[in-house]
Amino acid sequence: MAQKRREMLIDPLVDNNPITLQVLGICSALAVTSSLQVAFVMSIAVTFVTAFSSMFISIIRNHIPGSIRIIVQMVIIASLVILVDQVLKAYAFEISKTLSVFVGLIITNCIVMGRAEAFAMKNPPLDSFIDGVGNGLGYGLILMLVGIIRELFGSGSLFGITILETVNNGGWYVPNGLLLLPPSAFFIIGLLIWAFRAWKPEQVEEREFKIQNVEAH
Amino acid sequence: MGLRNFFDRIEPHFLKGGKYEQYFPIYEMVESFLYTPKTVTTAAPHARSYVDMKRIMTYVVIATIPCILMALYNTGLQTNMAIAEFGANGWRAAIIETFGIGFNPSNPFANMMHGLLYFLPIYITTLVAGGIFEVIFATVRKHEVNEGFLVSSMLYALIVPATTPLWQVALGIIFGVVIGKEVFGGTGKNFLNPALTGRAFLYFAYPAQLSGDAVWVPVDGFTGATALAVSASDGVQELAARGMTWWDSFLGFVPGSMGETSTLACAIGLVFLLATKIANYRMVVGCLAGMIGFSLLLNWIGSDTNPMFAMPWYWHLVLGGYAFGLVFMVTEPVSGSHTNMGRYFYGALIGFMVVMIRVINPAFPEGMMLAILFGNVFAPLIDYFVVQANIKRRAKRHG
Amino acid sequence: MADNNENQGFIKRFLALPTDSVPKTLFVAVALCLVASMIVSAAAVALRPQQAINALKDKQVNILQVAGIYDPNTDVIEAFGAFEPQVLELETGLFTDEFDIATFDDRKAADDPATSVALTDDPAGIGRQGKFVTVYLLRDDTGGVDKVILPIHGYGLWSTLYGFIALEENGNDIFGLQFYEHAETPGLGAEVDNPRWKALWSGKKLADDNGDLQISVTKAVPAAGEEYHVDALAGATLTTAGVHNLVNFWMGEAGYKPFLENLKAGGL
Repeated sequence: MAQKRREMLIDPLVDNNPITLQVLGICSALAVTSSLQVAFVMSIAVTFVTAFSSMFISIIRNHIPGSIRIIVQMVIIASLVILVDQVLKAYAFEISKTLSVFVGLIITNCIVMGRAEAFAMKNPPLDSFIDGVGNGLGYGLILMLVGIIRELFGSGSLFGITILETVNNGGWYVPNGLLLLPPSAFFIIGLLIWAFRAWKPEQVEEREFKIQNVEAH
Repeated sequence: MGLRNFFDRIEPHFLKGGKYEQYFPIYEMVESFLYTPKTVTTAAPHARSYVDMKRIMTYVVIATIPCILMALYNTGLQTNMAIAEFGANGWRAAIIETFGIGFNPSNPFANMMHGLLYFLPIYITTLVAGGIFEVIFATVRKHEVNEGFLVSSMLYALIVPATTPLWQVALGIIFGVVIGKEVFGGTGKNFLNPALTGRAFLYFAYPAQLSGDAVWVPVDGFTGATALAVSASDGVQELAARGMTWWDSFLGFVPGSMGETSTLACAIGLVFLLATKIANYRMVVGCLAGMIGFSLLLNWIGSDTNPMFAMPWYWHLVLGGYAFGLVFMVTEPVSGSHTNMGRYFYGALIGFMVVMIRVINPAFPEGMMLAILFGNVFAPLIDYFVVQANIKRRAKRHG
Repeated sequence: MADNNENQGFIKRFLALPTDSVPKTLFVAVALCLVASMIVSAAAVALRPQQAINALKDKQVNILQVAGIYDPNTDVIEAFGAFEPQVLELETGLFTDEFDIATFDDRKAADDPATSVALTDDPAGIGRQGKFVTVYLLRDDTGGVDKVILPIHGYGLWSTLYGFIALEENGNDIFGLQFYEHAETPGLGAEVDNPRWKALWSGKKLADDNGDLQISVTKAVPAAGEEYHVDALAGATLTTAGVHNLVNFWMGEAGYKPFLENLKAGGL
């Protein structure tokens, strides 16, 4: 049992990562990764919401009527998100300013809904909680990786601490402005997926079609 | 024939089962660059006629020759003119002084040599950096390195400003080759133009080095706005006040990215490409129509606050990268539309977008690069609609 | 006790119902909404004071920074106590006590037709300009004005930039300038936040000896000389032009000119 739970926690990190394998939660991954600190807080917030929403939904899973299933899940997730938002506004105002609407948009993050619907509705609370933590961490892992690349090469710092002194501040490093723009996260996530699948070929999907070879005339 | 014998002798080592099997792409690259390729394309998307890819690519490179010559001459000319005012420094100046060529802007040879000293490092960097990644992918993916890369690298070198730091040149072409082409499976399967992808990367990543007023002429302290930047801030009539005439722009004696300035040189290339049927005239017609039509419409609408509205189409034609993009990038067969009807729409969309970005977007005075990439993305969709329309029409006809 | 038992029985009875029956559905929906709304409103109410303090602090930190006395280690509210907020009527250049300083909201006032004017000549690109703004005075030990901190805003490339400018007591020497809200291009226009660029403002002068406004933010040094000139942001032509225009607008006739005249005359 302990073995199984450990797997539940580890599995979503690489083998079944919500971003690189399931390609969920991309929107916020684009928006909040230009600085590592923000990405970090966002990861914690998502992990918190996923874990607790999964747990609460799992607790009452036998009493949720099928007809209002999604609404019940949404209400629980939304309440948790508002809670997180309020706490951030009270105790981490600077960060909540940068995260702005994206905290609220955790509600629409497919990972949270996906785990609630796919796992918590069928499994006991503790397992659901662990599954939620695992998936939140899997999301966080990618966010942090993207954040490291974007902040280090885009502004020459990590967690706001200067690593590469930029030209504008009298150093030598010419920061890459593209990395500060949201589309760069697309490239980076794409390259990460590429790297993950090169490392673990079993993640590669079946081809949907094949370009045919035409016989020489 | 000694060389041919040499290739024949070493070839078995590179074939399947040979000693250097995995290096076959490199062998193939060198061999087919020097000789006619043994295998011509037999597979989609290139199996369209007897013309093999090497011939297409060679013709495109030939078509860029007028632009290259203009790039050398004009880069040297602009630099030498600025040097007259600001003085010369750097290793290029040292070389020129060593050979006693001088910095006289009215001496064409001095201009060409100075231009060459700017163009050559950029071009060589492009070939080396991009080439390394081409070979890596070819080796891993087991496809051959083809001449398409020669075209991409030539076009890429022509559309960057002369002042671009070489490490940025290298990063740009690597991005272009990898993201613009190889991740989609290599030449023939890319839906973006690799040279433009690289250029766009640089534009967004290092805007301070790739845009603004100080980057077009490689002399410290000299700032010269491009004609487009001047018209965006002060209107077309201001160009004359700054001594930029339409003929200067047409011939290419204005600051700008190295190979893009001369509309005339591009036009010569276009005639050659159309005559050899490498370029499809439908795309060219569409792109001209879209640009002329939309700029006339904007002239007619007019605007009190935005002087670009009043820019006539014949100025749009000669400014910025329009002509170069039209000749060498809009007509690129792989990333454009593949249906004849679609080619008109594809061209028109680019023509429309370039005017749209130039006139209405405040942040980007030049829009050709973005317009073409935009067109690239839409090309498959345009083809889809053309094919669907065809199917519908035929279904109707045959009941 | 009996009551409680009955209650439990009531809930148990519902829980025992078949999950997809109508009463059970209604029960789950109502119960969930009650619990969720209670948690959410409890959190909102409990945390509101802290949030209000944060929002206030955030604005005050900006004012402290532009006044050059911000120290992350000291208490913001306490440090801010040195400032004297005043509602200023732009047209007369005099303070007014028409409004309650604690509740007066500059941005709301600028939207309200009663307290604002629609601009016809609008170089800063702000549309409507409030007739009243909140300014902050920093007094020295003798009670005289040491610095004034004036809110400014205007359009850059993508967004309206909101900020403060701090002037010395003579109403002409710039002490600092800082924007606290904008959405300019990262790496280009957003370099308005770069400390090195902001430091350029310190010591510049607004107007020359004749009282003509000379301050400029441009690439080339204008004829008026270096002391009236702040270097442009590299590669951000339109943001630079926006900053130039908004500073000139707010320091001119339509902006703080009457107030600055009063300041020079003394007696504030």
